[in-house]
Amino acid sequence: MIKIKKNISILMLIATSCFAVEKSYAADDLPVIKRYNDTNVILVSLQCLRPDHLGVYGYKRDTSPNIDNLAKSSILFDNTIAQANLTPVAMMSVLTSQYPRVNGMIAFDAAKDAVTSRTLPEILKYYGYTTAAVSGSPEFFMRYDTETGTEIKLGDVFSRSFDYFGRTRKGLGSSLRVAPTESLDWIQKNKDKKFFMWIASGVIHVPYAAGIPREERVIYDPPGYTPFWEKFHSIKAEEGASDDTTYDVLMRIYKDEYYLGFKPIYKLTQTDYSYIVSRYDAAIRYTDNFIGQLVNTIEKAGLSKNTILIVHSIHGEDLGERGTYVHYDLSEPAVKSALLVRLPSGEQGGKKISDQVQGIDIMPTVLDYLGIPRDYSQQGSSLLPLIKGEPGAVGTEYAFIDRIPWWEHTLSRWYLEFKNSQTNYPESEKTPVKEYGALLRSAFPPGSYPPGDIAIRTKQWKLFVRKAPRLLEQVSWYGYITGVPLKYGDVELYDIISDPNERTNVAEKFPEVVATLKAKLMEWDSSVERKKAVYGVGEKRFIIPYP
Amino acid sequence: MSHKESKNEFDVALINRRDFIKKTAVGAGVLAATMAMPGFMLSNADAAKLANLPMKYKDYNVVFVSFDALQAAHVGAQGYSTRNVTPTIDAMAKKGFNFVNNISVASWTVPASMTWFTGVYPSEHRLTNKFSVFNPPNNVLSNLKKLSPELVTLAEVLKENGYATGGFTGNAGVSGFFGYSQGFDEYFFEKGKFGSMGVSIPKGLEWLQKNKDKKFFMFLHGYDMHGQNVPDGGFDYRFVDKGYDKKFTGSAAEQEALREEGLEKGSVALREEDVKFWRAIYDEKIQRTDARFKKFLEEYEKMGLMDKTIFVLTSDHGTEFHEHKRFDHGFSLYDELIHVPLVIKLPKQKAGKVIKDQVSSIDVMPTILDLLDVKVSDNVKKQMRGTTLVTGLKGKSVAKDVFFETDYRQYTYKRGIQTKDGWKLIYTLEDKSRELYNLKNDPHETKNLVEREPRRAYELEQRVFAHFKSIGHDLNSKQWIPGLNPVYDSQAKGVQKK
Repeated sequence: MIKIKKNISILMLIATSCFAVEKSYAADDLPVIKRYNDTNVILVSLQCLRPDHLGVYGYKRDTSPNIDNLAKSSILFDNTIAQANLTPVAMMSVLTSQYPRVNGMIAFDAAKDAVTSRTLPEILKYYGYTTAAVSGSPEFFMRYDTETGTEIKLGDVFSRSFDYFGRTRKGLGSSLRVAPTESLDWIQKNKDKKFFMWIASGVIHVPYAAGIPREERVIYDPPGYTPFWEKFHSIKAEEGASDDTTYDVLMRIYKDEYYLGFKPIYKLTQTDYSYIVSRYDAAIRYTDNFIGQLVNTIEKAGLSKNTILIVHSIHGEDLGERGTYVHYDLSEPAVKSALLVRLPSGEQGGKKISDQVQGIDIMPTVLDYLGIPRDYSQQGSSLLPLIKGEPGAVGTEYAFIDRIPWWEHTLSRWYLEFKNSQTNYPESEKTPVKEYGALLRSAFPPGSYPPGDIAIRTKQWKLFVRKAPRLLEQVSWYGYITGVPLKYGDVELYDIISDPNERTNVAEKFPEVVATLKAKLMEWDSSVERKKAVYGVGEKRFIIPYP
Repeated sequence: MSHKESKNEFDVALINRRDFIKKTAVGAGVLAATMAMPGFMLSNADAAKLANLPMKYKDYNVVFVSFDALQAAHVGAQGYSTRNVTPTIDAMAKKGFNFVNNISVASWTVPASMTWFTGVYPSEHRLTNKFSVFNPPNNVLSNLKKLSPELVTLAEVLKENGYATGGFTGNAGVSGFFGYSQGFDEYFFEKGKFGSMGVSIPKGLEWLQKNKDKKFFMFLHGYDMHGQNVPDGGFDYRFVDKGYDKKFTGSAAEQEALREEGLEKGSVALREEDVKFWRAIYDEKIQRTDARFKKFLEEYEKMGLMDKTIFVLTSDHGTEFHEHKRFDHGFSLYDELIHVPLVIKLPKQKAGKVIKDQVSSIDVMPTILDLLDVKVSDNVKKQMRGTTLVTGLKGKSVAKDVFFETDYRQYTYKRGIQTKDGWKLIYTLEDKSRELYNLKNDPHETKNLVEREPRRAYELEQRVFAHFKSIGHDLNSKQWIPGLNPVYDSQAKGVQKK
């Protein structure tokens, strides 16, 4: 049935002037299968999860026994691309099936009503779903009023349309990034309702695993290791332990050198690197354990047969491949995402799909499966044809990614000082940071918004276009801390098969590839610009904290 | 009492078409209603007469009449009983097929009328504004040939098939400058006027005298009922209450001022007695027009053409009298603006029929071509979006969901759908606002059910977007920012001042 419907809708698009179009359209548009009558949906969104650090994607360390097991009854997508490298931006693309500039979640200082696009819970509510969320990612439930310095409870777009919106813990700091176990209780208590549950976890975010029990956190630590930064500075007690892989530390590593006082003071060893990865992997292992509990809860509640369970990365994480950590740019590790879709009763389970798909495809897939008409404004595509192996289903030939906002824009809005107050830095560090803050604020005055970078990706190529490379060079964090201004080309082309770490720009070698991809990218860019939401000037803004 | 509080009792007093259908459909009211509404119930003899109609009229004539701005609810044959203002139209409706649920594709003349002549939606023929370029002082008028060179008009098809083609109009929205003359041997429009049938009928009769022995297609149009037209010699106020304080006189200037007030402020301040006055004025205009049309038919009969002619009587859009706090037409897509009469009377047809199926003005062109049994090229067949209503004349259901739209000057972009079971969604593109009405329970469109029926609103919204996408107009491909879209010079000037 679905297949027939698909064919008709494709015909509709092609037949721009056909005598009989209207009549058949009116009759056949609405999907026939109404699984929305009795199917639950659980969406698990994990920050910073690299697929290549999961067993089922080929990782050697035993980080993910539960996810590996879940994959046996799920469809595993091997080539999933996030629409952005930053959590609120990439997540909103998933929840709206729109590219970031279209839905409007384009900054960490967002006005309350910055996003008006329809979200997944909003549509599911139309169809009688009870909607609940439990978030272990402060990005989705915390807002700061920078004038008063207080946290406010902003009922904004991430909590909009949820009948229940659970937050993991109050307060700031790493204690926020804990497993969202409250979601398990909610499912048990509400198993007789038809529900949509969104579960978000930030355990894998920096500082990796900091909010979890110590014995779990240190499980992969190199024996007897002492972090190199402990000899330079300490962090404030309330921010966690001194051996935590904090944002401040990881953002001061560039090409294996640790920078303090704006000069390289330490060269990282292989063990230092292993330690960082160990903490990252420990966070994955802990998160994987939560997934195991979730699957058990679903089974115990008797919901396996009528629940779609989707586990995905909001975006990935850099672990030094291009010289940087965290998720600063649109590198492969930062945008490649894990994606598992478990259909009711494990239908089509065990399939592995290597075609490229995007974060914005998740919502249309859910709606398609449930038999709910998709919203016209959605920009992704249902993955059901791929899952069913329909002829001609090849995924997304071109994936598009926005690097917005530049992290430097976010730093200019309060973050720089906030971040640097968490570590007891020497004066030699504090003073230049203040100067850098002044530089950023002059580059990004209130109400202004930087142009951003964009990228297009195929199975083989990735092309970056920096919209304002000179400005980027001027404000670049890494240029500033190293004292060596970074150079950005206007166009970067990488062969991501032979050079997955994107170290060699081959734009000059493949001018035809550049021409083709750049034309596609700019066409997409202008289509997005035509529909772009505004970075509302003059509205009261609240900062999404990044503890 | 402020205008906001005042209830417009005349809205309620009007027999709405759906009230009429309810009354006539079932129950004890059937007999009375049937007597009031001739032609609704068929005797066996009448049914036999209908069944004997050939439904193929090769080489017959067509007289297509547009009574500009005639609201269905003010036509006797469509259920109006307050005053007897349309005896001639009613008589023809009684003898012909009387479509009581015909919905226009737009709520003002330029886009709505071109749909009859091209069989495509306004978005497609693109005649949705007076100007295609508005850069004072070098303004470029919209013109079908320039905007949509690929489209073939109804008159062109008929001319190709050997018909003499003549159009006799009141200009303005159906001016030849917009390309309305495309395919007509002769097309009359008096420059700078909202002209009446008082002028267009004599011109048409002159042409008929010369062409009556050929097969012909005649388009007859007048603004007699339109707010911008005042009868020669002024109103006699035949229906106005004697006690009315004469705050208004019914002039075109007053009507324009009310229209502009509504557009500027979002609503017009009017008293109940003012609304009653304007409806009385409207009825006077309608009655006068009906009398003119009667004279035309008398002359027509004298030429011996009646039995050789298919008559199509309709209107491009309705008129609003404060039902939704505005005045005139064009801005909104409510029932008073898009629900218009449609009568098709076939040659030698003696028994009529009321057809309740919901149809669209986009069906008019395929219906005429089907009836005339002319050669229609594949291109034209592909061009037309509507469906022939001949199936409906033969007694089969032609009910359909219909779509409509308006881009009105610098004020709004609206799109809508009305399902055959009476649900209606109006989507306003510039602010993404939605109105959902259940016309069965709420024929006057007073209760927006978007919040109460979110799923239905969502699904109808998807239908609207899918429909426009399917005709090559992806409403989601850009931001809709109301801009200067002037229609008539006087309105454009108002905007320039700002």
